[in-house]
Amino acid sequence: MKILFINNDGGGFADHIEVSEGTTVQALFAQRIAHGKPEDYLIRVNRQPVARDQKLQDGDRLTITPTKIEGAFAA
Amino acid sequence: MLRFSPLAWAKLEYFCHRGDTEIGGFGVSKPNDLLAIEDFATLKQRTTAVSVVFDDAAVGDYFEAQVDAGRTPEQFARIWLHTHPGNCPQPSMTDELTFDRVFGNASWAVMFILARGGERYCRLRFNTGPGGAMVVPVEIDYAMPFAGSDHDGWRAEFNRNVHEEPVIVRGFANGSRRVEDPLDAFGEYNDALEPLLDADLFDFDFDECEVL
Repeated sequence: MKILFINNDGGGFADHIEVSEGTTVQALFAQRIAHGKPEDYLIRVNRQPVARDQKLQDGDRLTITPTKIEGAFAA
Repeated sequence: MLRFSPLAWAKLEYFCHRGDTEIGGFGVSKPNDLLAIEDFATLKQRTTAVSVVFDDAAVGDYFEAQVDAGRTPEQFARIWLHTHPGNCPQPSMTDELTFDRVFGNASWAVMFILARGGERYCRLRFNTGPGGAMVVPVEIDYAMPFAGSDHDGWRAEFNRNVHEEPVIVRGFANGSRRVEDPLDAFGEYNDALEPLLDADLFDFDFDECEVL
């Protein structure tokens, strides 16, 4: 089955990818963002936050974006 | 070299001076020239006079909207722009931690800081091959096509996205005081705010800032 996968790591990605039936959000995260900590990302399927064990469905849109993008002045 | 279209630069300057707080956003680049910024994109954010934090869901919405518009992450999510109060654009520890944590896994990224006094700081980091980073010059490229300003639209975008909060000054029974950032952007480095107790923020002495 195919899903749309969007993330900014590596070369950046916003394209359709082939995934196996029954693949969970957590499994795909580990596969695609092996160096990342899940707590550093907002993981959404079809624009909604999801549990990590949710199984992906054909046509889903998985978006993984960074959290806590913050800046501060240098005192 | 990082290049801004005159329109993108004007919008960044407008946002920098519209309120009394830091603000931030992303540069949106030309597809065939990723260091040429065509637009300054903002998203929902909480801001104080000393910090800015993007709303996590708004970042997700921003990515979705940009992809729907046909852009790739390299075009809209690699150039992180934010402002500093005063004259010092040097990155803070918070800035460095964010640049490393959020952008350290991308093949390349830029941290650009505009101080309200006009000084700029820009560093390009690349993570392919041996990796590396360099301070790069910045220019406003008047050869890039640009439209006129859109103050009404920018004002509406500012009011929609920029949510200002005051810095907290706590007084204690023993007479001591402590400055706290309500966004907690300083984390364990909150003591860095201590000098603000004795100075108005915008009169704060930035003389020790060394602009590279």
